[in-house]
Amino acid sequence: MGPDFYIPMRLNEVDDSLQKEIKENLGVDLEMCLECGKCSGGCSNGQSFDYTPRKIVQLVKFNDEETLLSMDALWICLSCQLCLDRCPSGIDLPRLLDYLRAKAYRKGLRASRPQVQLFYELMLSSVRKIGRVSEFPVILQFNWKTGQYLKDAHLGLTMFLKGKLSFLSPHVKEKEKVRRLFNGSPVESRGNNR
Amino acid sequence: MRNREKTAIVIGAGPAGIEAALKIGQAGYQAVLAEREAELGGTLRQLYSSFPRWEDPRDLLDAKIRQLENCPRVSIMKHSTVEASQLHEGGFLVTLRDSRNGTTKDLHVDAVILATGFALMDLSIYGEYGYGIYPEVLNALEFEARLREWSQGSGQAPQGVALIKCVGSRDRSKGNPYCSKICCMYTAKQAGLVKDMFPDAKVYVFYMDYRAAGKEYEEFVRDVIEKKHVRYVRGRPAKVLCENGRLLVRAEDTLVGLPVEVLVDVVVLASAAVPHPGTRKLAEMFGAKTDEYGFLENERFEPVKAADKVFFAGGCGFAVETPLALQQGAAAAAAVIALFNTR
Amino acid sequence: MQDERMIKPEERLPEIPRTLFLFRSCTGSLEYPGTESAVKECLGILGIDAVMDPDQTCCSGYLLTCSAHKPEVSLAATARNLSIVEKKHLDTYTFCNGCFGYLSELAHIMLHNVDYLHMANSMIADWGYKYEGKTKIFHVQDLWYRMKDALAQKVVRPLNGLRIGTHHGCHYLARQYRILDDGGYPTFHEEIIEALGGKPVFYKERQLCCGYSVGRGFTHKEETVQPQLYKKFKSAKDAAVELITTVCPGCNVAMDREQPHLSKRYGEEFNIPVIDLSQLIALALGVPLPKLGFAANTTSLNGVLKKLGLEEGS
Repeated sequence: MGPDFYIPMRLNEVDDSLQKEIKENLGVDLEMCLECGKCSGGCSNGQSFDYTPRKIVQLVKFNDEETLLSMDALWICLSCQLCLDRCPSGIDLPRLLDYLRAKAYRKGLRASRPQVQLFYELMLSSVRKIGRVSEFPVILQFNWKTGQYLKDAHLGLTMFLKGKLSFLSPHVKEKEKVRRLFNGSPVESRGNNR
Repeated sequence: MRNREKTAIVIGAGPAGIEAALKIGQAGYQAVLAEREAELGGTLRQLYSSFPRWEDPRDLLDAKIRQLENCPRVSIMKHSTVEASQLHEGGFLVTLRDSRNGTTKDLHVDAVILATGFALMDLSIYGEYGYGIYPEVLNALEFEARLREWSQGSGQAPQGVALIKCVGSRDRSKGNPYCSKICCMYTAKQAGLVKDMFPDAKVYVFYMDYRAAGKEYEEFVRDVIEKKHVRYVRGRPAKVLCENGRLLVRAEDTLVGLPVEVLVDVVVLASAAVPHPGTRKLAEMFGAKTDEYGFLENERFEPVKAADKVFFAGGCGFAVETPLALQQGAAAAAAVIALFNTR
Repeated sequence: MQDERMIKPEERLPEIPRTLFLFRSCTGSLEYPGTESAVKECLGILGIDAVMDPDQTCCSGYLLTCSAHKPEVSLAATARNLSIVEKKHLDTYTFCNGCFGYLSELAHIMLHNVDYLHMANSMIADWGYKYEGKTKIFHVQDLWYRMKDALAQKVVRPLNGLRIGTHHGCHYLARQYRILDDGGYPTFHEEIIEALGGKPVFYKERQLCCGYSVGRGFTHKEETVQPQLYKKFKSAKDAAVELITTVCPGCNVAMDREQPHLSKRYGEEFNIPVIDLSQLIALALGVPLPKLGFAANTTSLNGVLKKLGLEEGS
């Protein structure tokens, strides 16, 4: 049974592989960060984040991939781009978060509240099946899988009675072609993306 | 041709230019001190107080002007700008224009000292701070004037003041990447003065760092924080908004990692220091080089020399505080004197 | 390192186009058909031809945010859409900040990374499409601002000092460089509104993001979007705003459709209608009410229309 208290991080033993990976793949150099906090100060959703934007940059420097890929902030970021607009060093945080989301997906990591990932998967699977997003099945499945069984139920009924909701969506005519897009080459991030 | 006394022209009469002209005159050579405005002193004249000893800059200016007046070899030309210059008999033939009536005068000089000083950057691209939009958002020099007003009892007493540092400095995205050196000190000074005048006011300084590299500087800033009770918040503000007629500043307190807000009456922006407009053109006239920001560049191994027989001192080389401007002026004068002595 | 942040409208749009390709928006054309209709009417009044194509698909904005999973789908969709426009030798005009942001960003990525361009083109080559990067991407707000004076001259129903708050949205100004206005404190919508006779109101949370962000409005409605919208509407109400304009149908959905929920949750009535800037311009230019599609709005425009001396028809 090892120590059950927090042992300080030994910085000389922390490797900078994540920071390097981000610099090479995205062209985002986190050493340019002045740690000024202007990003966090203006973040639209910052008060709901478990880690503010500036802290997120710091987590990368600590190579703390585990926290980064499972934090709530990763998924509730609105991509409003204010952090990038205001950063005096021009650090592309929205792109960094996009990259981390892709990484989280590839590693099969789920956020503690997986609504956003679920939403994406449902939309994409609808596109794969019928070539387009059919809202009714997507919403139904979403509410069901997140345990909100009766959410929007009366709204759905009203819409159905007004003819605004159909259970069956017409399929796209050439849906095999759309399906082929899903078999496309996996995205390899190579080189400078700017 | 009769023997003409060696003459140097000093362009700009801020502390650097004044000291340069004074030392040249005291060494026995002719110095012409050309100043664009109606009064000598440059930016120093606009200041209400100074660091690190809280002295009145006008005392220094008055003392220096008295010294100048007592120096027969210094001739002062106010309202004068340099219109043109050409090489002439081993020196320069400089054309000066009087802004009051447009008359020009030609001067034959043997050396030039550029001392045009610095200005504050135009902050209109910082829309997020509301400069030019909300009337109570001021730059540092405008705030000095406000401090003077308050000291004379006019203007409305503030309940809260927020001072934001590094506006336009240390900004590679839309400002200047460099640090403007003097803002950390003058911001501390301004914050301390507000507390002196209005002890019940809440004063906040938003910083990324505070740079107090100089004699008595660190002690000065610590006094402002510990004795005058100015609150320093670490975080570069993201936005200034208007709420019920007052100003709301939004930032993150990075030390604890939480978004914070303060509601104040006046917001002061410590703007980046840039060379005075016209410096670049003047440099070209005399064959001096400027960097990408317009600051004068010195020749290698010659810290005050910009070109052959051309020297510089003070804010036109880079942002500088008054004591150092005086030192640089003296250094430029020494270079001129050395030059004149070798003929 | 720095390119110009702000450029003049004449630099962004040196010439007024005679014909342009109008990019349909999923939300703007289906959820608020009045928006698309208003844009077409305004273009007609200005003498500009708008060409559309049923072959076009959604800009894939929804998919882009899903791009954690399958970014190549978004790239292919964008390349295909833009190649449709290129076949007509026109520039692309969107009326949705979302479309504008996503198209611009994906186009930029493809044009600066040959690998991605090849990948996208190889996926759509079978169907005869090829993206070359020739078409330029604009938002109609570029055009409205560029032609502000022309619009002012054609005003038939002046807005009588109606107090209008703007919502610029995030994805247009976030481009940062070479845009029409300062992202820190934009005023170009306000200038257009003044030209139409309205009174722009700078309410405190004017620049706050609506929170919808293509999907968050759905997945995190109660947690993040509603508090965000509440802050926004509270400050608009405090400033006595009578109407809010948007340039993004996504923002429009958020702000218009959530108001009843906000009232229920926070116990406060707002009743501030939200319409697209193009609909406002069309209204001022005399376009008949049925063509503006206000029936699609949750928050009624009756109050505003009555103030302007009009009856809400449908």
